[in-house]
Amino acid sequence: MTRTFMMIATTAAVALATGLAMTSPARAQSGAVVAAMTAGTVGEQADGYLGLAGSVSDAVRQEVESINIKRRAAYTDLAGKRGVTVQDVAASIGCQTLSSRVKQGQVYRIGAGAWQTKGAGAIALPPYCATAG
Amino acid sequence: MKKRTIMMAGFAALGLTGCIQVKAPDKPIEINLNVKIQQEVVVKLQRDAQDLIQNNPELFPQ
Repeated sequence: MTRTFMMIATTAAVALATGLAMTSPARAQSGAVVAAMTAGTVGEQADGYLGLAGSVSDAVRQEVESINIKRRAAYTDLAGKRGVTVQDVAASIGCQTLSSRVKQGQVYRIGAGAWQTKGAGAIALPPYCATAG
Repeated sequence: MKKRTIMMAGFAALGLTGCIQVKAPDKPIEINLNVKIQQEVVVKLQRDAQDLIQNNPELFPQ
């Protein structure tokens, strides 16, 4: 009885430790991405992915690629659930990130256009982002 | 009066040709339709998109 409890407790502790070990380096790296976003070398794109707007370190580049791969997996998952294309999901995400997540001073890009810095006003979104009603 | 004559002439011309032929364009005209459809899908997905962003903060650094 006690032994079973001990085993469960140990398993839980190991799982927790593994979880922490897995998340902490990712957090440290995404801090570098946040710094790059503040610096204007990494920014959100209307296509729903992060892009490189300037020269960045290899670590930041790898982290951006890693985030984009994970994003694509999440978009693919949602697209399957809703019966739409991955591109539609990605475009919807792009509308959201550009309208409510890109902060003033950060850079963004719409389509193949040039990188722009967000000013005080709202970003002029692509026409398909228009809200219902 | 003059207008009526012109119209009559028009009908007469129609009667002569028998039918109006409409030739289908070579290229499909559906660009606007596609934009409309995509917009509807994007609007429908808006809530899902918001949830996805909020539930995966590690994928959306700010």
